[in-house]
Amino acid sequence: MIEWLVSTNHKRIGILYMVTSLSFFALAGFLADVIRLQLSRPQLNLIGPHSFNQAFTLHGTAMIFLFIAPFGFGLANYLIPIHVGAPDMAFPRLNAFSYWLFLLGGLTVFSGALTAGGAASAGWTAYAPLSDVQVAAGSGQDLWIIGLAMTSISGILTAINFLVTPIVYRAPGMSMWRMPVFVWDMIATAIMVLMAFPSLTVVLFMLLLDRHAGAKFFVIQGGGDPILYQHLFWFFGHPEVYVMILPMFGVVTEVVGVFSRKPVFGYTGLVLSAFGIAGLSMGVWAHHMFTTGAVDDPFFSAMSFAIAVPTGIKFFNWIGTMWRGAISYETAMLFVIGFMLNFLIGGITGIYVASPPIDFHAEDSYFLISHFHYTLGGGSMFAIFAALYFWFPKIWGRKLDERMGRAHFVLMFLGFNLTFFPMLFLGFMGMPRRIYTYPALPGWGELNLLSSCGALLITLGTALFVWNLIVSSRKREALPDDPWGGGYTLEWATSSPPPEFNFDFLPPIRSKRPAFDLHYPQYAKDSPE
Amino acid sequence: MGPGFWPVTFLMLALSLICAWYFLYGNIDWILPGASNPLTDRTNDIDALFKFMAVSSTAIMIFVAGYVIYFGVVFRARPGESREAVGVPVHDAPKLEFWWTVLPSLLLVVLTALSIVTWYKIYFGTAVPALTAEVIGHQFYFEYRYPGLKNSVYSKTEAMHLPVGVPVRILITSADVIHQFWVPEIRLKASGVPGLVQNLNFTPEHAGTYSIACSEFCGPDHSLMQGQLIVEPVAAFNAWLEKEKTAAAAGGGALNLAEGTADAGKATFAQKCSACHNNPPTPFDQKLVGPGLLHITDDPAHPNLVSGKPPTPENIADILQNGFNGPIGQMPNAQANGLSSKDIANLVAYLVSLK
Repeated sequence: MIEWLVSTNHKRIGILYMVTSLSFFALAGFLADVIRLQLSRPQLNLIGPHSFNQAFTLHGTAMIFLFIAPFGFGLANYLIPIHVGAPDMAFPRLNAFSYWLFLLGGLTVFSGALTAGGAASAGWTAYAPLSDVQVAAGSGQDLWIIGLAMTSISGILTAINFLVTPIVYRAPGMSMWRMPVFVWDMIATAIMVLMAFPSLTVVLFMLLLDRHAGAKFFVIQGGGDPILYQHLFWFFGHPEVYVMILPMFGVVTEVVGVFSRKPVFGYTGLVLSAFGIAGLSMGVWAHHMFTTGAVDDPFFSAMSFAIAVPTGIKFFNWIGTMWRGAISYETAMLFVIGFMLNFLIGGITGIYVASPPIDFHAEDSYFLISHFHYTLGGGSMFAIFAALYFWFPKIWGRKLDERMGRAHFVLMFLGFNLTFFPMLFLGFMGMPRRIYTYPALPGWGELNLLSSCGALLITLGTALFVWNLIVSSRKREALPDDPWGGGYTLEWATSSPPPEFNFDFLPPIRSKRPAFDLHYPQYAKDSPE
Repeated sequence: MGPGFWPVTFLMLALSLICAWYFLYGNIDWILPGASNPLTDRTNDIDALFKFMAVSSTAIMIFVAGYVIYFGVVFRARPGESREAVGVPVHDAPKLEFWWTVLPSLLLVVLTALSIVTWYKIYFGTAVPALTAEVIGHQFYFEYRYPGLKNSVYSKTEAMHLPVGVPVRILITSADVIHQFWVPEIRLKASGVPGLVQNLNFTPEHAGTYSIACSEFCGPDHSLMQGQLIVEPVAAFNAWLEKEKTAAAAGGGALNLAEGTADAGKATFAQKCSACHNNPPTPFDQKLVGPGLLHITDDPAHPNLVSGKPPTPENIADILQNGFNGPIGQMPNAQANGLSSKDIANLVAYLVSLK
């Protein structure tokens, strides 16, 4: 126990990050069920508007700040040093500090629920002046601000490690152009974090000063401007979307290569497109503000359309990897296929909202809810499960049960689409987001009920996954270094789980897939340099 | 390419064409309300853009998802193959990569251009609006203002009116937090941001009654912030405006205290006053923001109202109507509180009944 509290080992910190973020996922998922229950029928009043507003605020906050992004950080913590053949992160103590700061931040956000006025209820975006003290007087909002500021600073610190480690700590033979695509994606992610998260930290402190020191940054009567809040928030908020998806693009790339049993297609394109996405992501933020009429809609629209190109390149390269492969469908690969089909809908609906005239209709409606859940839930969350099935044997030395895994996938895929596909139509039909009840207009009740049934399936799927974790982690089996029989990257060339400093023996690194060359020397000639 | 590549590709093409035909010629009113009979000229433009996007994006969707599934099936590892079976080691195809970068880029350039043209029309397409109406968001109702009309129209009790065939400009802002004005049948939405006025321009093309929703989360009762839009022929619109003007000239729907009922006042109190005054009402000294209002007419410690006048129904109504500003604090006036004359009469009846 005490070893975990004081550890600076990147694998332990990675595991702590992942376990913590999965716990927040369970909490946020429970809140989603509360939301779906309240919305299952028209004009229901199971919980009052105040509880509902807290539920969706905490749901969004936890999923975004405390689950998806930190899970990616945890996975990267575990994998980056091993992927580049290093014994640990460049700054291990900084690494431990980032984790504990993140945990404290997350708990601070949730502690708001114990205050008299309840947790923050201004939405995960906490737009001023709705989050200002005259409107949201409760200390729940303050705890939300302070907690998020901690996670934001934690993100900046951990990004320094993600950037420095692969640049300075690569093993002999591991040239930059032999690094796994996952590592490249994390470098691009770290750059985005370093550029975008300071803006979040700043806007949170400004909001705190507005609330308690009369700073009036966002108060119109004091010469401030609510639009300034949105600029600073979304300058962080849009890159954040890619901070949540880019590590998962890395996961998908690694998994699809191994289970297609051929080298990753278009390595150079995959790497360059990660930097294309990171660069463009810094210039699209105001598409969240089209309807304010206060931003340059044509510019931000063009930038938003443009970001579809590098994202498309990644997508085509995954299909290229599958093309003429010998694909086997372990659960991790099933989740990757699920990711591709869901993320495709997320990406294509993104094209709609990148167009200001269509955004004028779709913005802040259920269409938008569906769009970003398809990218972050159907995309990132599915890739997170793929990562769990794929790397659990390495991390814990046991394989997760494949039969339960397949059932988990089926429940998740059906449940997810049942929940979010109807919302595409609900939004265009006119249902605004963040309403706690709605009138019985034609079709609204039926589509919302479908959606709520889907949420039930997702919950069952998640419960099955937890059961699988419990059962499988107690299995007694000795796993080989390469339990999938064909892993490419260096973690598959060391024991499961790896020793404290990762490698007792480091194989020669002569291509982009050193572990594969080690185990299958007869095919080494096919490995790309 | 793989066995059956061309038949599968042909099938996907056929499916894309069927979807395209449906979006262009089918009845999609259930997705886009009123698409077969667009409410305004801008609705028409936006729907045309939507259809172009729906046709092209559905085709992309079908082809990409189709190839993921098709390749996933034909290139699966066959049962009985050893774990060592490997795929064909192709990992680069510069020509292919070039085209799958350039072709989507071209489509996106077209989409960007079409979007900007339509966007331009929404903001600048109406040269000289014949009518300018104003929408002001409040927690949790809309206020509408019309030229020549002294009193505002409130979404709590009345609908917003617009004439058919007249180019209108709607100016939108907010008095407190950020709200959003959305009429799904028009397809347009604009944020009401405090300190910022933005405009929407369009010409309604036929009559009807539509709902207005606030679509930006604005606080506890966000879901109740709804209004009604009545689009009517010019003659009917003018008659309505004249009627409102006459009512305004007669003193804003004339306050008649005799009309008030305590029951209705109790409901209004819970809705409109309880943010600052304890509900149920407490004695004077138990303050929330403002004083408790129990015994407002028979409190020996406070024989007079905060305005210093005796607690008659007329004097209570005066505070409700004009607000109050004094050492004890300030209360907004009836307009800021969104109280109609009828509401005031009801509230007075209720407050007087509290003994």
